[in-house]
Amino acid sequence: MRGVGAVLRGAPRAATGLAVLGAALLVAPLLVDDYLLSVILITLYFAFVGQAWNLMMGYAGQLSLGHALYVGLGGYAAAAFFVHFGLTPWAGMVIGILVAAAFAAGIGLLAFRFGIGGVYFALLTIAVAEFTRILFEHFEWVGATGGFFLPVENREINDLLMLRGSPAMFYYVILAMTVGLFLANVALIRSRMGYYWMAIREDQDAAQALGINTFRYKMMAVVLSASLTALGGVFLAFYNNNLFPIDAFGIHRSIEIILAPIIGGLGTLFGPILGAFILTPLGEVLTWALDQLGVQMAGVKHLFYGLVLLVIIRSLPGGVWPWFARRLGIEGPEARP
Amino acid sequence: MSRKSRLSVSRPITRRSFSAGAAALAALAAGGSPLRRALAAKPVKLGCLAPLSGFFAREGQACKRGFDLAPAILADMGMPIEIMMGDTESNPDRARTAAEKLVNEGAEVLIGTFVSGETTAVAQVAEQRGVPHVINIAAAPKITEQGYKFVFRNFTTGPMLVINGFGLMKDLFKATGSTPKTAVFMHVNDTFGKAMGGGVKALFPKMNMPFEISTTIPYDPKAKDLSVEVAKAKATGADILMPVSHGADAIKLIREMVKQRWEPMGIMTPGSPGTYEAQFYKTLGKYSEFVIANVPWIDPKTDMSKTLLAAFAKEFPKESPELNVGFSFEACLIAADAYKRAGSGDPKALADALRATNITEHVMIGGPIQFNEKGQNVNIKSAALQNLDRKPTVVLPEASAEAKPVFPMPGWTDSRRA
Repeated sequence: MRGVGAVLRGAPRAATGLAVLGAALLVAPLLVDDYLLSVILITLYFAFVGQAWNLMMGYAGQLSLGHALYVGLGGYAAAAFFVHFGLTPWAGMVIGILVAAAFAAGIGLLAFRFGIGGVYFALLTIAVAEFTRILFEHFEWVGATGGFFLPVENREINDLLMLRGSPAMFYYVILAMTVGLFLANVALIRSRMGYYWMAIREDQDAAQALGINTFRYKMMAVVLSASLTALGGVFLAFYNNNLFPIDAFGIHRSIEIILAPIIGGLGTLFGPILGAFILTPLGEVLTWALDQLGVQMAGVKHLFYGLVLLVIIRSLPGGVWPWFARRLGIEGPEARP
Repeated sequence: MSRKSRLSVSRPITRRSFSAGAAALAALAAGGSPLRRALAAKPVKLGCLAPLSGFFAREGQACKRGFDLAPAILADMGMPIEIMMGDTESNPDRARTAAEKLVNEGAEVLIGTFVSGETTAVAQVAEQRGVPHVINIAAAPKITEQGYKFVFRNFTTGPMLVINGFGLMKDLFKATGSTPKTAVFMHVNDTFGKAMGGGVKALFPKMNMPFEISTTIPYDPKAKDLSVEVAKAKATGADILMPVSHGADAIKLIREMVKQRWEPMGIMTPGSPGTYEAQFYKTLGKYSEFVIANVPWIDPKTDMSKTLLAAFAKEFPKESPELNVGFSFEACLIAADAYKRAGSGDPKALADALRATNITEHVMIGGPIQFNEKGQNVNIKSAALQNLDRKPTVVLPEASAEAKPVFPMPGWTDSRRA
């Protein structure tokens, strides 16, 4: 697979578009109001966790429907060490990542060692997420069902070390994380491991016959994806300043994570990002449009939202990005579902 | 309520001022500056947030009914308001962006949301944007422990609910002259039930209750029947049953008690829904009678409540008013009252006015609406709500009672249930 630079050199319109988007995102806090900033911020969060999930499903072909598990574990671990011991979230992040990685390794070990694959693997991920949610509902050290709250301070100065500050600071943090993960993904996908993952995704038996240690590389995909998702969880916990088991580990959270990469394009670099930039603003646009039309009926928005998703999936089953890439003149794997 | 019933700008709302109406308005007109009069005529924009869709849609819709009724009633009291409704979709992320949007569109006070996680998200927007936030419903105690300057809660925390519930039990025993010696505590084993269970465990020893809890029986929220649990409870020979339930489980519980012919002195929840809802009456019929729930409730005796209940009956004739309606209406009242006293839409002046709130005439049972230094109204009380003639009836506190409590409750075959 070619690198992003190589891809874009062959598609000047795409390169220009990406440069404009990058510049717009950099100056967004100066140009948009707090509402729009909060929308872009949450969009970037979904782009981040969508990319993390895409590594496991899009490239290694392992379907996880319980990825909220890692969001919750990362968030709870960093927040708990911050509240109880005053530990900076950057250090707490390491603990969160280690805890999430340990859970992922446990799931992977159980599944891959005993040949649990496909939908059964997906069910296992849901089960562990639900089990952990119930566990945290009884875990008094982190507030159990009553919720775990980070102290809120209305600081004049942004404190990056403690992740306390204005929405603009959080915006730049998640922007850096999203861009950083994108670049890391570019490198990963071009590495030996990336090719092995894709080989496993396409045909595990063939990959094994060629001498690829499928157990090892599937484990690496699961652990890496979980660790990165936990990083997203740390961000969300410090941005929201509260954690409730149902919101952190709930199945609805897992579904939210996977929607962007599915709509954007599984197994593509830009797909999860494009998907997030379609889905979150789509919800806001529908809210605005229904307000303008004077439609007050609750749930109508979800109906339209579902219909739009249905149309996208029906007409572009490989996701929006491959279609969009072809329109931009990008050739090669990035333009293929 | 008469159109002449108006409130003074500079005074807190009292029963007298509420019903005095015209005289107070005349005093206001004579004493208020032109600017104040102009501001009083200008409606305050309230950004009301509730989970109108998603998992908590039923409760969110009930909150909306309270918001829907507020503008006409408050305008009649000389406190015009404009409701700007936002749907949180039962999602904290969405609650945050919805709050930001309402502030952008000119909301001067935020109200909401019903769910603690969402409420915290809105509270942070309120703090960052410097817009006062009146919480209508959200029970997590930590929300008002954050040192927020713009957040005010007019709802009970979990521990307050349990304390009020136990307090009412003692009042009930005193009023009826019957005191049980033992109780069984049964709770649904989910988020709410566990939280209430924890509250009961922690607070029961401190409340000096006249009875012992023989045993605590948690049950699965998805249990198909509760025969084993009820048999276990019956075997203790306890005098009363204290259930913490949601809806369908409360129905299963009573059905099983009837089936097993367990007739304790009373069934009274220390503070949970499930026993005063339409479905409970419809399904259980005569067996729904005499069950008691100790929960915050609309005071049927105040003039303002009567106005609210009449408006509700007219607007939503097929539904029953309940606590979500009352607290949501009251949040609008609090915001409108503060706006009127602040004499300004300035957020800091509004927050200062909210801090100085002292509303003695309102709709929910309890003392005057006043906020402590943390922004929590500590004067909210519960009502003992007994099912009489297939409807929730306030039987305690005495000042708000619509009927005398019936305790011990009549047996399942007693003719009084007919």
